Amino acid sequence: MNFKTFAAFVGPSVFMMLLFIAFPLATVFKNSFYVTQPVYETVVAETCTPGFLTQTCVTEEKSIPRLDEDGEIVTTTSYVGLQSYGNVLELGRAWEALSQGSWAAFQSIDFWKALRFTLMFTLVTLPLVLGGGLAIALMINNASRLVKGPVIFISLLPFIITPVIGALSINWLFRGDGILTAFLEWYLARDVAMFAQAWTIEVLLMVYRVWSVAPFAAIVFYAGLQTVNSDALESAVIDGASRWQRLKYVVIPHLMPLIVFISMIHLMDAYRAFEEVVGFSSQGYVITLQWLTYDFLVPDEAGNRSISRASASAMLTMIGIALLLIPLLRRTWRDHKGGH
Amino acid sequence: MLKKLVMAGAMSLMASGAWAACAYENTTPIKSLSAGFQAWKAVTDAMAECGNFAASLDQDFREKQPEAFAAKPSLYHIGGVANSTMIPLLNAGTIRPLDDLVAKYGQNLTPNQLIKVDGVTYAIAMMVNAQHLMYREDILSDLGIAVPTTYAEMLDAAAKIKEAGVVDYPIGGTFKTGWNLAEEFVNNFLGEGGDFFTQGNMPNINNEKGMAALEVMKALTEYMDPEYLVSDSTYVQQQFQQGKIAMANLWASRAGAMNDEAESQVVGKVIMAAAPMGSAAPASSLWWDGIVIASNISDEEAEAAFQVAMEGIDEEMVKANNDLAVWLIPGYEPGALAAGAAATAAAGARPYPASGPMGIMHTALGNGISAYLTGAKDAATTLADIEAAYVSAAKEAGLVK
Amino acid sequence: MSSRALQQPLGLRLTSASFLAIWCLVAAFPIFWIVVMSFKSPVDAYDPNALNVILGPNTLAAGKGLSILDIVLGIVVIWVTIRLCARKLPGMVRSHAPGGQVVFGWIIAGLVAVLGFLVVFFAILPVVLNLLNPILGPLGRDVIGMTPEHYKTVWIDRGFSNNFKNSLIVTTGVVTVSLTVGTLAGYGLARSGSTLAFWILIIALIFRALPHSVLVAGYLPVFISSSEWLSPVLGENAPTLYGKPMAVIAVLVAINQPFTIWMLRSFFQNIPAELDEAARVDGCSHFQAFRRVIMPVMWPGVITTGLFSFLLGYNDFLVTSLLLDAQNQTMVPAIAGMFNRETTTTDQVVAVAAAVSITAPLFFLVMAFQRQIVSGLTAGAVKG
Repeated sequence: MNFKTFAAFVGPSVFMMLLFIAFPLATVFKNSFYVTQPVYETVVAETCTPGFLTQTCVTEEKSIPRLDEDGEIVTTTSYVGLQSYGNVLELGRAWEALSQGSWAAFQSIDFWKALRFTLMFTLVTLPLVLGGGLAIALMINNASRLVKGPVIFISLLPFIITPVIGALSINWLFRGDGILTAFLEWYLARDVAMFAQAWTIEVLLMVYRVWSVAPFAAIVFYAGLQTVNSDALESAVIDGASRWQRLKYVVIPHLMPLIVFISMIHLMDAYRAFEEVVGFSSQGYVITLQWLTYDFLVPDEAGNRSISRASASAMLTMIGIALLLIPLLRRTWRDHKGGH
Repeated sequence: MLKKLVMAGAMSLMASGAWAACAYENTTPIKSLSAGFQAWKAVTDAMAECGNFAASLDQDFREKQPEAFAAKPSLYHIGGVANSTMIPLLNAGTIRPLDDLVAKYGQNLTPNQLIKVDGVTYAIAMMVNAQHLMYREDILSDLGIAVPTTYAEMLDAAAKIKEAGVVDYPIGGTFKTGWNLAEEFVNNFLGEGGDFFTQGNMPNINNEKGMAALEVMKALTEYMDPEYLVSDSTYVQQQFQQGKIAMANLWASRAGAMNDEAESQVVGKVIMAAAPMGSAAPASSLWWDGIVIASNISDEEAEAAFQVAMEGIDEEMVKANNDLAVWLIPGYEPGALAAGAAATAAAGARPYPASGPMGIMHTALGNGISAYLTGAKDAATTLADIEAAYVSAAKEAGLVK
Repeated sequence: MSSRALQQPLGLRLTSASFLAIWCLVAAFPIFWIVVMSFKSPVDAYDPNALNVILGPNTLAAGKGLSILDIVLGIVVIWVTIRLCARKLPGMVRSHAPGGQVVFGWIIAGLVAVLGFLVVFFAILPVVLNLLNPILGPLGRDVIGMTPEHYKTVWIDRGFSNNFKNSLIVTTGVVTVSLTVGTLAGYGLARSGSTLAFWILIIALIFRALPHSVLVAGYLPVFISSSEWLSPVLGENAPTLYGKPMAVIAVLVAINQPFTIWMLRSFFQNIPAELDEAARVDGCSHFQAFRRVIMPVMWPGVITTGLFSFLLGYNDFLVTSLLLDAQNQTMVPAIAGMFNRETTTTDQVVAVAAAVSITAPLFFLVMAFQRQIVSGLTAGAVKG
């Protein structure tokens, strides 16, 4: 295929990605090195607000942005280098905390707190999703033909359900005297509060993630199991391989490309976990990197947002994902070269 | 059962379509953007009766409003704002002075409703809201406890209720990390007579007033549901309705739900009282919600929009929705449910000190306080860290040099 | 894997089956539970006692309930519908739809099935039951508290049908555009071994890993002021992109492109290159070969990828809540609006009913396309 034909085929797709992903991304990259702020003036003003029956009036100094002739806010943009990255990372404080050997002080810095949990979240759920998915796939494969259809159907439910709704529905089960908390209380015969300490919330977030992603892994693995070479399996049986050995030496190598695929998708998605924090309102105990970025970005009630720090935090998140993906990317490169 | 459903559906369609109670027919297309809670639903429904009106009740309104009003022409004519969300619009000059329009069409407004900055009216307030004490009258009188007026008395009462074991948790609190938790701190800090800023927008919370506010909050959590860091107003309201708590400093707009037969098991048992006193003022802050008109629209559109807005906040709407909120509009009859808000204001509660820096402070408080309540940091470190977070964000915003 | 040498001992099969049953319970329970909650009065829905939630004593006391007969007949109707859909529908579609129009056939069949079910379940069944219940004594007496009033509130009072329509527009747009653009690119990438193709794929992969909230927040000011910066090009008619379903479709398609092209590429790779070479020898251009020869054998891959696009468009919250105004809002942001700062317990149960309403179409979709998903994945054996 020559370049022109190739360009015609991929053109529309590349154009859309450039316009809606690459361009905003370039802006984010630029914003992380610059700070834009309004020019404020200090004025004394009287503000009157309603009270009961009579108004309350307060006279105080206020910072008000200057407006130009067109009524636009006058802003200045200045290059700050790596300062915003420094403000996110707070390396000085982090180093001080670590050199004193105080893990608690280190974990009180937002970025490192978020990084710790995001990494743990990603790395703990990965094997659970792979293992759980494979187990479910094997069990479905084992099941009799009659129940296969319904079972696949039920297995797919957690994956297709709208994430916001999935998180809320699990939230309702555990929140306060939710039905499953009540069950746990009855089973353990003690008072249980799932949202009262960090570790139970961490467990809940991970359980939710595994619950919603394992079905996807299971279906992909199940599809892969249909193409396992039965000759290879039978000769393994003849060689006296146990069930476990056949799984380890025949089935899993066959599924290896799928395992890489699922791992890649899962690493990317788990590293930018966000819905869980919002859905379970866990921000009082644990936060993730994307939640931190979002928190910088979303305006407070007075309309301020920390665009520069949000951009820096987003770039740091991206660097993290790139690092996690390197081993898998190298494999893809080898496959790509080998395939042609 | 299902036949009833069809019937009811048909009836509700007829009710909404056939009858409109606006005094005139609006011919200019008008759009509004506001928060989505019940009071706004009532007000925008009343506006819609005039015709040619489309309301956006949006939970992301505060993210969209500054941008949408800055567009030329503005995407919306009418905006619904509160103390704090008016600040970015006012700063950017995207809402217009209303004095002319008030003189022309605002005969029914009371002076109390006019939000003035340096003598110029920029918004029309329609309701106020404040957190105040709600308590289970039956429990307190059974145990012979007087109505608490300070937090010290409230803690004593909580100890007695806990001992008697009549409810799951003596106290409920809107302590959800983020906006709610910060608001509780603001209430207590104002109650101690604190001021959030010194000269040049520098923070001023790391002092004995800030410590006192934090200590009160921590003492209260001892008597709360241990999941207090995820409980918002709706959750506390539910706990009240299900008879799980006996006292809470809850929003006035939630009072009506206590007597809602369909969902409450404590109808008539919850009484409204003033917010507990801090050492200087009630531990509460007064909020208002109201209407602004965009500046980037033609004067004719502004006039039409203002007229529609006046129809939305008229006496008729208030009469139909009396218990939805503590209205400022003539015709409102403050019942027992509004007594708490009224007593809180009468005791000298201060308005929420909305400003640009305060927006940043509120966020920093919301993110920082949970570390103290969970015991990860002591009070002084918590306040120092919040001040540091505030300064670094305010520097980026250009508010602190 | 069905050969005799691989037959498993009974113990293993039993363990496997019981674990599978546990998994099904875990997978379905949260969804089952919100369905139950959505039919109860607020007091029952949030009761800490599971039995009270299921039986709904308060709902029953309010005179809203189901008799044993109601339940039995209801289940029968649902079961018959599922059976008919699973057994008869695919055959009917295959026999009636002409070759290239299987998709339309499915759409029509789906609409007919849903409509038929709604008519039987909500119009015919209640009339029959109203006649039968008083006659049958104990079987006809209400035993379980259950009320559809929250669904009434959602669909009639809150105008959720409008949100449903908007969701349809957005998802249809996302699926169509995404597949059109994606199949072209996927084919191009699969048939080109150039280093450029590799880098496009890698960059797409990195794009897929981006935190969305960062990108999305950047769109808002640009979209709101679009009539200003587009006016030099388009003059007076420059549109405000904010609030337009078209703009949201474009954003969702772009965000979904990386996944789509990766997936379609691996499907195309499984189709032997000899096929299009043969077509080229017969004098077809690349485009003709693609359209006439490759696409007809690509349906499983297109359907599977299309389903993923559908899920993305249908489930998206971040983009739709920020870039659509109230008049064009889709269902997911609309339900989030029901959980705002001033909700009552009734509002929450109404929101639960809305959540179930959002989930129901997904339910039917998976039921209809389940075979295609699995066979599509098997055929493509997503190679990563």
